[in-house]
Amino acid sequence: MPENLAIRIEDLSIKYKINVDTKRTLKNAVMRASKGEAVRTRTVEAIKHLTMDLPHGSVLGIVGANGAGKSTLMRSIAGILPPTEGRIIVNGKISTLLALGVGFNPALSGRDNIILGGLASGMTREEIESKTDEIAEFADLPDGFIDMPVRTYSSGMYGRVAFSVAVSMKPDILLLDEALSAGDASFKEKSFNKMRELCAEARTIIIVSHALATINDLCDRAIWMNKGTLVQDGKPDAVVEDYLKFLKVGTLPSNYEDM
Amino acid sequence: MSNTTANPEFSPNLQVFEPHKASLPPLVPYLKEFWKRRAFAIELSRFADKAEYLDSKFGKVWLILNPLLLAMIYFLLVTVLRGGMKSNQGITTLAHILIGLFTFYFAQSCISAGATSITAGGRLILNQAFPRALLPFSSTISAFYQFLPTLPVYIAVVVIGKWVFPSTQIPGFTWSYLWIPFIIACVGITGFGLSLVFATMNVYFRDTNKLLSYFMRIWLYASPVLWLPEMLHGWHRTILFINPLGPVLSSTSNVWIKGINPTPGELVGCIAWALGSLLIGGYFFISRERDFAVRI
Repeated sequence: MPENLAIRIEDLSIKYKINVDTKRTLKNAVMRASKGEAVRTRTVEAIKHLTMDLPHGSVLGIVGANGAGKSTLMRSIAGILPPTEGRIIVNGKISTLLALGVGFNPALSGRDNIILGGLASGMTREEIESKTDEIAEFADLPDGFIDMPVRTYSSGMYGRVAFSVAVSMKPDILLLDEALSAGDASFKEKSFNKMRELCAEARTIIIVSHALATINDLCDRAIWMNKGTLVQDGKPDAVVEDYLKFLKVGTLPSNYEDM
Repeated sequence: MSNTTANPEFSPNLQVFEPHKASLPPLVPYLKEFWKRRAFAIELSRFADKAEYLDSKFGKVWLILNPLLLAMIYFLLVTVLRGGMKSNQGITTLAHILIGLFTFYFAQSCISAGATSITAGGRLILNQAFPRALLPFSSTISAFYQFLPTLPVYIAVVVIGKWVFPSTQIPGFTWSYLWIPFIIACVGITGFGLSLVFATMNVYFRDTNKLLSYFMRIWLYASPVLWLPEMLHGWHRTILFINPLGPVLSSTSNVWIKGINPTPGELVGCIAWALGSLLIGGYFFISRERDFAVRI
């Protein structure tokens, strides 16, 4: 793989079976087997033959409707979901914000949770402990909240801590589900600045967002996915414009606002 | 691209993700990563215990209180139902039941906490790639720390028992006690191995956990805890060995109660069940763990 690439995706397909039955229990399985019924499953083709190269220092935005395969793609790049076909090569340390609650146990303090999240992502205790104050400061928690149980946090505070943990890992590649890094306007500005700072250090960022303004604002490249296939790959404004046309709502400025 | 195929998963730099569903991922990098992140499993268990006892009034005192109350219940059982403590046999029976029960509960808490560790760790699993076996491993560590305080409770009961009935057969100190760490390690490894099996099953069938509580109770009655291993004769003794905890529990009884070494048969049984559960559980779990993220 060429040195300048952070991620190379070769003919990636991801399929998985989901159980159609609502209750996945042993009891149901035994009942079904006794009646000679087969297990009802559906195969979801989340990603179909996707090929893409992403150089270091890029900020890639992914747009697409719900169920387009955006989250699946992110998880497969993070190594959480295995490819069914094809290959993903990742060059660099990954940090993710794909699900809220990075090791978050609501009964424990923010500080304890940050330590757990850091250890899960492979940091040593000393490394993460030396960063806890920095993370707490960046998350902009009110006084003393860092040592209070996470269950006392507002959802905004929760999201800010999660975002701060993800960016503080000094990742080479940051995978971000933007809907999760919920914060107010001032935190949003701060997080954008942080992300710009990361790209200035030639780190790579991939953002999934329904807030199309964010994609235009931050990214230097965007892809549009629909039902597991890559529809368009190009400059963010062009991709966003075509995506909006596809949604048949034109390019009204209101659609550029955060949804 | 040929130079990249051998690259390990989870390694900090070049990582290659390729299909290997229903078969094992490269084991050496998996185990390396597992070992590298052992601090995570240890902290996770510490924090889980901290969270559990944070809100309770007695806090960590429960760790001693639990086995103490159990000891009292079985003391009543032995004195009332089995004809009293007048004979030396009474204290021996009580000691046998207690050490067997504490050992069994160690395995049981490995298995039942481990079984839900994956389904309860949903967020963590959806967000990060790490060897998933760390979650049941963390439950095993918790179970061990809950087991440790039961030993002083047992010792206290025996000391009091020997003081009241000086002629009891329970040994004060023997060299056979050197087998104790080995037996505890076998219980932990067997429990961890079996927890891997049940953790995987619980991802696919969410009621595994509920069935497990009944299963564990039947298992307790089928184990030499409330009865003595010597009560089995001839081919009945095979019951001891087809039970994953049979050999460790009868070794426990030999060492703690009779003060003798485990028999060679028991030792082979202990090691076979520990390694067997670890290998079978490990294969079952690791070969399916990458499927967990879509099923959580």
